[in-house]
Amino acid sequence: MMQRRRFFEATAMAGALAALARPSFAAESAAKKAVEAAKQYAGTEISIVWEAGLQALDPLNFSGPLWEKETGIKVKVVEVPTSEMFTKILQEHRAGTGAYDALNVIPAWMPDLVRAGALEQLDEYVDKYGYRDELQDIAPVYRDNQMTVDGKIYGLPDDGDVFIMYYRTDILGDPEIQEAFKAKHGYDLPVPPKTWKEFDEVGALITEVTGGKPYGAAFIRDPAQGQFMFQERFRNEGGIFFDAETMKAQVNSPAGVKVFSDWVAENKWMPPGVETFGFVENLAAFLQGDTAMTLSWPPYGRWAAGYGTDEAALNWVPKSTIAGKVGYAVTPGGHPQLASGFALSVSASSANKEAAYLFIQWLNSRDISIQRVQLPFALRDPFREGHFTSEEYKSRWPEAPQYLAALQEAANTGILDLSILQTDRYEEAIRQGISRLWSGEDPQAILDDVAAQWDAVTERVGVDRQKAAYADWASKPNAYPPKA
Amino acid sequence: MTQPNVHRHDRRFGYAMIAPAVAIILFIGLFPLIWTLLVSVQNISMIDEDTSFQGLLNYQRLMSDTRFWEALGHTLMFTAVALPLELILGLALALLFLEELPGRPVFVALLVLPTVISPIVAGAAWRLLFDNRFGPINQVISWMAGEPVTILWLNDPNFVYAAILIAEVWQWTPFMFLLLFASLTNVDPSLSEAARIDGAGFWRTLWSIILPVIRPVIVIALLIRGLDLFRIFDVIWALTKGGPGTRTETISIYAYVQGFQQFETSYTAAMAFVIIVILTVLVMAALKRVEIAR
Repeated sequence: MMQRRRFFEATAMAGALAALARPSFAAESAAKKAVEAAKQYAGTEISIVWEAGLQALDPLNFSGPLWEKETGIKVKVVEVPTSEMFTKILQEHRAGTGAYDALNVIPAWMPDLVRAGALEQLDEYVDKYGYRDELQDIAPVYRDNQMTVDGKIYGLPDDGDVFIMYYRTDILGDPEIQEAFKAKHGYDLPVPPKTWKEFDEVGALITEVTGGKPYGAAFIRDPAQGQFMFQERFRNEGGIFFDAETMKAQVNSPAGVKVFSDWVAENKWMPPGVETFGFVENLAAFLQGDTAMTLSWPPYGRWAAGYGTDEAALNWVPKSTIAGKVGYAVTPGGHPQLASGFALSVSASSANKEAAYLFIQWLNSRDISIQRVQLPFALRDPFREGHFTSEEYKSRWPEAPQYLAALQEAANTGILDLSILQTDRYEEAIRQGISRLWSGEDPQAILDDVAAQWDAVTERVGVDRQKAAYADWASKPNAYPPKA
Repeated sequence: MTQPNVHRHDRRFGYAMIAPAVAIILFIGLFPLIWTLLVSVQNISMIDEDTSFQGLLNYQRLMSDTRFWEALGHTLMFTAVALPLELILGLALALLFLEELPGRPVFVALLVLPTVISPIVAGAAWRLLFDNRFGPINQVISWMAGEPVTILWLNDPNFVYAAILIAEVWQWTPFMFLLLFASLTNVDPSLSEAARIDGAGFWRTLWSIILPVIRPVIVIALLIRGLDLFRIFDVIWALTKGGPGTRTETISIYAYVQGFQQFETSYTAAMAFVIIVILTVLVMAALKRVEIAR
């Protein structure tokens, strides 16, 4: 009897010790910790703002139902177009309705959203649920630049967006084209091109030799997405956004004018109407074999290989005619832009902050994120070191190892989106500038206007405030390409 | 009770009876205006915490904002071109359908279809039609030309206005047609008959008999469409978003960009207030001119 009593006492003691030790979650994965802690909220519902379209299929078809099955918490997905996400998040915060619990946030917006008080600081949750270790596995460029504002965590980097160059190995490797290239330029055709000069010479020659079947290259020229490409190329050409002392805009410097002038020149050997190409038009041209090279976000590489394009959700993606003939590389200049991306955050006006945090920790965790970045229909791109080296991912299609290697290299050398106070106003001026460029206006005149608009925005924000924000951003190792 | 007292009592009772209605009208009509005015003299933006009183600074900024005046110019240009086009085409169609044609009800119903489509959907449909790569318009032109023709309808400044006007006129001419057709069917046929017997030709009859009779309807139709065109947004947003650059940006698009993309709440309020003043003056002048206000 006594022994039995001792046994129960010992068991109770062990249970108590285990309960005390529970917050450290010593050996459990972050996903399991989140699930266990979230079970107390079973029967409730949390909402999450997600980019409308393919991106939202992740929580709608995969992660949302799985989370509900494991925790009993329903997930309501609020789909919002990217262009309206910032507005909606701010409007909801100002209204204080508590309609959003968790958020997808483009990291460049984070300083503005934090200053507006719209995002919940996450450090306390990260410690409480033992997530710091797994955060270390996120590729440094995302972890160090897309997670914190003023040293505090406001978002969990969740999407390895970066521009990648895609090129047709069969065309760039064609002896006839290589011969013609050497005859014209006096050096071997570089596979892949490493500088913009090489890229333009290769692209123009392919169009010349093939008569446009295929064209040498095409790009996303749509101002909304083209502005990312401007930011990237401007810095790869040596451009600096602002004079750090005076905060006067430098976007109209020779580097900016060169980018715009080169774009106009390139259009002449690209498909007619390339000025109107957006994400889908450019994708269609590449997958149908109409272009030999292009630059875009990582999903192009998966779809070009035919990965997952049999899924019903991807029936709008043109069937790839080039599977097995695509090479992947870092963009010319060597420093691709980490364009856009997403971080997972918790809304400061949420009434379910803890449950919302646990959901995003679970989504972002090592165990779950590796599944999410392999969903063929969603658009989340590898962002953890373990994603780039995953044997499972490498086996998805024959060239997947090269694809992942290119993504990893791009993540290592990538440069950040400009992220200062009211960044979108500066980006809007570039968007307007690109739109004017395609209507035939002079690059220098356009960029002088863009610079004037930037200066006006800086004045309105306050030169000193913006100077401090810019200094903070520019001090990051990935703000500008390292000086040679 | 004396007679004047009775009148005073009746008047007070009358005021009391209409007071709730007047209060509601004032609240609905004036409160948003006053609120807009109040917001316009502050420094409210969704991003900044500073919402201090700014006086007329936003109005001063507006006066020197070339983009605002350009947008106003584009708006007036679209109105000046589209309005007469819709009137002339609508009238021509109405006159045509006055005749007893076989299948007339079916054609009238088909003709009215564009008007019932949401303008943003119509804009999206025209965007596809004008697409330089997959759109049928360039394909038809290419067949006719016998060689590939790539017209960047929505990017090339030489074509973009035409593209917008085609979409706009396509959608709203049927509205003009409907109003004018209804009024023409009410014109006494004996008037035109008499004119014809007196030797008046088609144009003379139209100018001197029919148009004067349907003039009030024309004025109302012009007023409705004029106001709509002044606020034009959806179709242009779907087609060009105001581009290339800001070449097709209208006042509504500029206000939307400032208010909902740039979060300049107070500046947008100042813009809205100026637009309201301009529109009020224009409408009052138009009404006075056609003596409808009386």
